[in-house]
Amino acid sequence: MLQKKVCMVGAFGVGKTSLVRRYVQSIFSDAYLTTLGVKIEKKVVSVGAEPVTLILWDIAGEDDVASIRTSYLRGAAGYFLVVDVTRAETLDVARSIKARVTAEIGSVPFLFLLNKADLQENWEVPAQSLEELENAGFVVFRTSAKTGEGVEEAFQELAKRMVL
Amino acid sequence: MLDLPARISEWLLLLVKSQRTVAHLLVNNELLLIKAGGELEYYGLDDLKHEHSAYDQLPFLEGLLPLRETPFLLHSIGMPSGRVADIHIFAEEDHTWVVLLDVTTEHDDARKIQQKAYDMTLLSQREARLIARLEAAHKELTLAHRDLAESRDALERAHNRLLQELRDAERYVLAILPTPIADPFAIDWRFVPSTELGGDSFGYHWIDSEHFALYLLDVCGHGVGAALLSVTVVNTLRSGALMNTDFRVPEAVLGSLNQAFQMERQHNLYFTIWYGVYNRPTGRLRYASAGHPPPILVTGTGEQRGESKPLAGRGIPVGLMQTVVYDSQECTLTGPARLFLFSDGAFEIMRPDGSTMEFEAFEEVLTRATPGGASELDTLLHFAREVHGSESLDDDFSIIKMTI
Repeated sequence: MLQKKVCMVGAFGVGKTSLVRRYVQSIFSDAYLTTLGVKIEKKVVSVGAEPVTLILWDIAGEDDVASIRTSYLRGAAGYFLVVDVTRAETLDVARSIKARVTAEIGSVPFLFLLNKADLQENWEVPAQSLEELENAGFVVFRTSAKTGEGVEEAFQELAKRMVL
Repeated sequence: MLDLPARISEWLLLLVKSQRTVAHLLVNNELLLIKAGGELEYYGLDDLKHEHSAYDQLPFLEGLLPLRETPFLLHSIGMPSGRVADIHIFAEEDHTWVVLLDVTTEHDDARKIQQKAYDMTLLSQREARLIARLEAAHKELTLAHRDLAESRDALERAHNRLLQELRDAERYVLAILPTPIADPFAIDWRFVPSTELGGDSFGYHWIDSEHFALYLLDVCGHGVGAALLSVTVVNTLRSGALMNTDFRVPEAVLGSLNQAFQMERQHNLYFTIWYGVYNRPTGRLRYASAGHPPPILVTGTGEQRGESKPLAGRGIPVGLMQTVVYDSQECTLTGPARLFLFSDGAFEIMRPDGSTMEFEAFEEVLTRATPGGASELDTLLHFAREVHGSESLDDDFSIIKMTI
């Protein structure tokens, strides 16, 4: 069976682990539990008629002290850049990570996930920044690990882009 | 390598083995698992199959082989058993060694510290965002407050200017009123304009040596517009400016006024009026009313309680209908008596509880004895203010007393 390594990267606390849990186990918890190192999950999806096993690497988030280890993305067929829409600065972190990942593993499919999209009243990412992303040709999904909005669709889209 | 005796090197190896729960794997260049050993069960890797795909069985190796650098360390990788391992990968010429060392305890300790640090950071970020929002809201409020203060000042200036103009109009309305007279009969009056200025006005004058005209009108509504019309009507009557009208004939006067002051041409204003002509030689009073409250004739001098008699009249207010025809009534004024002519503002007094004083109560006060030379008009005004519960009345207070 086709097997693809997919990495979740972004600033700390943006909801990478919650997105994986929502996608793989269909559960969500409001409690924030930080990730140290890497958690690996598997999920089989279908792209067209072909089943594909996604090896999901949930990599510890980046903070002011520790950068993510881009070497962990070696062998990745795609990745998600996760942003917390209630913290505008996490978009800058995602952009910075993208540049370093590209330098490390070259050009592979990736999607921007604007997570916590259910928290509309606390939305802080400026509309202009989102326009810039879209104008640059990046694919952006609005997701909520809490409600499930956009999660399944985002993983399916990345799987499609990795396989086709 | 450590330049230590074999005995010590061996002891160190045993120490690592006992504390780090070592497991090892060997993968060939075809990416098949060819060997596995050590504490595999500890990491949940006890069902590995030799000569099967390493990637299928060991997802943490996916895409990493062949290594770009050796050794390569994967730090703190969650294993199927829930343990956490540091994974050291060593590339040899035709195969790759993978060594797992347990770091679960260190991972859990470090995670607790990191959790605290992230919680604090998120909290302080949230606090900073909240403070920024509060400051922005405060700034907006300050600006709004300043705008409001400016608007309030402008409104206050406009209000003061309007008040001043109202007071000017009030002074003019008062200025055109006739002075009280004492001979050959006494006429006195009280006029207290309402705060907003009303539409009351009145007058009296000799038409000729025998006929004395007395009138009081009340334009509907309040404000400068009503006051302007009332002043115009009084000036018209006083100057005899109605064409082809005998001012000794009340119904003719009202008819002419009705022709001259139709509401369509008066900004939709109309008025009630009582107009009487007293023939002094005969003592006859001829009067007509256009929807005005009936004057009250009270017998006696006021020293004792008197008998009251309303001088009822018919007719609709001036200005409502062009085709209306007014008629007049007559009576003889026999002294001693007082004739009170007033507007509705003199008796339609609202009490503090919202109810309105009855006409009968007002009529009763007119008949009361006011011994000791007290002014009946002042007594009435005082009574009205007492009933209203305030010095300022809602409507113009106008009353004329003619003493025969």
